Amino acid sequence: MSQTITHNQRALAADTGFDVELRKVFKVFNGETAVRGIDLSIRRGEFFSILGPSGCGKTTTLRMIAGFDSLSAGELFIQGQLMSQVPPYRRPVNTVFQSYALFNHLTVRENIAFGLRIKKRDKAEIVDRVQTVIKLVKMEAFATRFPAQLSGGQQQRVALARALINRPAVLLLDEPLGALDLKLRKEMQVELSNLHQELDLTFVMVTHDQEEALSLSDRIAVMNLGRIEQIDTPNRIYEQPQTAFVADFIGNTNLFPAKIEGAHPAMLWITTTNGLKMKVKPLDTSIPLTSGRVVVSVRPEKIHVSRTIPNDVINCFEGRLRHVMYLGAHVHYVVDLTSGDRLTVMQPSAITDLPGADTPIYVQWAPEDCLAIPTN
Amino acid sequence: MPHLSPTVSSSAKVNRSRRAFLRAATGVVSGLTLSGCGWTLAEVRPLQASAKTANELHIYTWSSYIDDALLEEFKAQTGVTVIADTFDSNEIMLAAFQAGKGAAYSIIYPSDYAVAKMIELKLLQQLDLSRIQGLENILPRFQSSVHDPGNRYHVPISWGTTGLIYNSTKLNPPPTDWSYLWTQQRTLSRRMTLINDTREVMGATLRSLGYSYNSSNPQEIKQAYEKLVVLKPAITTFTTDAWRDQLIAGDLLIAMGYSADAMSVTLANPALKYVIPSSGTSLWSDTMVIPKTAPNPDVAYAWINYVLQPSVAAQMTERLNFASPNQSAHDQLPAPLRDNEILFPPESLLTKCEGVAPVKESITELYEKYWTQLTSS
Amino acid sequence: MSQASPSAPSDVPPRDRDLPKWIEPLLLLGPTGIWLSLLLVIPTLLILQLSLVPDIRPGQVVNPSGLNNYALIFQPIYLQVLGRSLFFALGTTIICLLLGFPVAYWIALMVPKRWQNLLIVGFVLPLWTSSLLRSYAWITILRPTGVLNSALNSIGLPSLDILNRSSAVLVGMSYSLLPYMVLILYASLEKLDRRLLEAAADLGAPPSQVFWRVTVPQTLPGITAGALLVFITGLGDFVDPELLGGASSMTAARLIYNQFLGATQNWGFGSALSSLLILAVSLAIALLLRYGDRNASNV
Repeated sequence: MSQTITHNQRALAADTGFDVELRKVFKVFNGETAVRGIDLSIRRGEFFSILGPSGCGKTTTLRMIAGFDSLSAGELFIQGQLMSQVPPYRRPVNTVFQSYALFNHLTVRENIAFGLRIKKRDKAEIVDRVQTVIKLVKMEAFATRFPAQLSGGQQQRVALARALINRPAVLLLDEPLGALDLKLRKEMQVELSNLHQELDLTFVMVTHDQEEALSLSDRIAVMNLGRIEQIDTPNRIYEQPQTAFVADFIGNTNLFPAKIEGAHPAMLWITTTNGLKMKVKPLDTSIPLTSGRVVVSVRPEKIHVSRTIPNDVINCFEGRLRHVMYLGAHVHYVVDLTSGDRLTVMQPSAITDLPGADTPIYVQWAPEDCLAIPTN
Repeated sequence: MPHLSPTVSSSAKVNRSRRAFLRAATGVVSGLTLSGCGWTLAEVRPLQASAKTANELHIYTWSSYIDDALLEEFKAQTGVTVIADTFDSNEIMLAAFQAGKGAAYSIIYPSDYAVAKMIELKLLQQLDLSRIQGLENILPRFQSSVHDPGNRYHVPISWGTTGLIYNSTKLNPPPTDWSYLWTQQRTLSRRMTLINDTREVMGATLRSLGYSYNSSNPQEIKQAYEKLVVLKPAITTFTTDAWRDQLIAGDLLIAMGYSADAMSVTLANPALKYVIPSSGTSLWSDTMVIPKTAPNPDVAYAWINYVLQPSVAAQMTERLNFASPNQSAHDQLPAPLRDNEILFPPESLLTKCEGVAPVKESITELYEKYWTQLTSS
Repeated sequence: MSQASPSAPSDVPPRDRDLPKWIEPLLLLGPTGIWLSLLLVIPTLLILQLSLVPDIRPGQVVNPSGLNNYALIFQPIYLQVLGRSLFFALGTTIICLLLGFPVAYWIALMVPKRWQNLLIVGFVLPLWTSSLLRSYAWITILRPTGVLNSALNSIGLPSLDILNRSSAVLVGMSYSLLPYMVLILYASLEKLDRRLLEAAADLGAPPSQVFWRVTVPQTLPGITAGALLVFITGLGDFVDPELLGGASSMTAARLIYNQFLGATQNWGFGSALSSLLILAVSLAIALLLRYGDRNASNV
């Protein structure tokens, strides 16, 4: 498994260019470990997402960065400062909550001005900055309304404004778009992205929506059961998942548990547990595998289907079509191989007549279109 | 989630009809009550006599004047069941009586000054003296009361004085007169109480200034008020009998109280002593009267006769510790009780005592005005 | 006509449209309305009527004729008495707020859920005893030779002269009314959204600011209701000032009592005082209801 920090970096002084760093952080609630020894470094100005299913510990991690939960073990640095004894109101971070947590006894304008009033800024400055931020989130028309009179999307924008006005070093977003309908969500995603570029702040977003994470983030950390599976750019997360979980969680894939028979710098000979013999081209960047158990991942869109035996017999297997689903732009096939594996295949619908169910079929993919992921 | 509910209009309509209803109802009710169809305040009307009341006697009395033995013996003698209700202040008794509760009673036990009030309010019936035996036994002093000349309406049942009860072990020299409270004000500060009664307290102060207990002179009354103002900061509280526990416990050093209460307290703690102030004090008596609306006057007379029997009166004194004005009853008492100076002070001291007599309406108001100012400040 | 939902079934039998609209409120309000009228509204109006008859005595006919009784009230001595009542009521309210809020806060926000009910019941338990007994208990504790002073003396501290003073009254009244305040505040604090407190802290508010800017405004309806209840009850309490207050403790309640059941027998003046108290309390309720509502837009 790749690591994003090496031991050398621990010795660096405050100005590391990392806004948030977690080192070997654990969190235990009542005997249950929610976060197991994670390491994270978020660069200044990054749009960083923590992605994972419910209960994976991503919200807990965010709350620890904000200061609402204390660390059971490990260290947390924000802009190089150790944060173990620092309460939330003294950290240079602001949070946009999943439920927005707007103060229902204050108007929109008063909500937004809250942070500045606490810092006892003078009136003129407050009015000025509130006006700027309200314009930024396009809520001028609602400045004197109360949160109860706003729609979900409007409330979310107020929550954003309220956090942004304080010019925090890091903006934390806890599933910010979760409560919105699809169209609104798409719109807000674009707005978030624009805001990030305009303001040049560090954003740390927690979400379970992989599309959102993939489209908005500079880097993603995929979490599962309290551990970080992989931290990488969206492209590499998708194309080069390093664990079976990541491969399966992001997008669709077909997985084959298997064993390495032979290794070569340019090619791996692999036999699956069901007896299929595959050739997988190893990645340049990964640690060279020589032996051991692996999981082979093949994306559905990389598999070719044909009724006749294809010319290229590498990674070619025989099977029967189970289902055909015509989805307009794509066609979805479910193929049962003779080895017993069930594959999902996705192809653009260029074919004029589709094969029916139970047709004998051949699937094939190139060695560079599949991935061997080590399992322990 | 917009909260502009579409049901605003319908709830407004309900509100409007509700308001209209309330307005109408208020108008009807107010109109009826405020229309000044003049009603008489606190009118007492007699109850319809019923067969059940023939063998029952309802009396309204102080709790310290009756006990079960007394009631049972009466029942044995006459076959009549006595039901007694109690009160602890004349004002409450008057108010309850006028509120309509009084119509059930055939015998009431007001204090002497309350008799005057009840006569004034025309609540009492004149006693038919031919039906009462034993009045000759009553001490001469109580044969006629300043509140009811000739005793036409009442029969005295107990009497006593007002004085100072003090802790003899803690106060040296002991008090002999009202003026002690002022001269020893500092020692006694916040360790003394006075009776919660206008006339008693003002009267005692008047006495200590050399004036009559029942002065009608506004100047004198004013002086008494001012003297009390001087004493006020040292007074713990105005109470008629709550001082008893506190005196026994040692929280108080001295208290102004009635001789009947003094009796019970000195029995409980021999260190406590009762003194009748040398400049004089008030002499009070409690009485029995028959209200005009009495449902059962015959049994009422039977009760009066029963209580006037010397043996019964003597037993009451023995058991309940109050002084009876019945001379032959007094003679029948055992020696310690007969010679008890708290219950039966010597004649020499009694010469200085006055009864609290009624005064003119305007003077009463003056007393009340000063009293209110004293207690409200 | 209220908005019908679009999916209303069409086979619902048609309602009887002949009943006029006011039948329903009449039937619903009728029983309570009669009860309230008989036991609350009419007696209050009778008192009002009595107060307009100067110098009324029992046995006289009631003919409302003037405001003399009300003019009487504005003498310094009576104003002092009214002021004292206000002082006791306000003092008790403030003490109950200062003591009750931390307790309610602790129970609602810091005690694990399963202990909360038990603690609340524990606080309400004193209400099960007679209020008169409670006042007498305080006499026993606060007397010069009472429990408190015995304890103080045993550790070498001098005795405190608390009984028969205003402080004893405040102690007695606060003790009796604290459970109500705790109950009402607890109900309000329990509904407090903790995430708002986190949001405030996140925006830079230290605990004291979180308290004043978020907790208090959010629980203002509860604070208002509790304060109102304690204030009104305290205004009418005459047992505690009477038993615990000593010689300088005459309150409006006691003054009214004296007019009806004391030596003065001035029922007209007593009624005027009562009407004034009722008016003051009604005004307080009206004002505070309006104020309380404005701040609780969402609760």
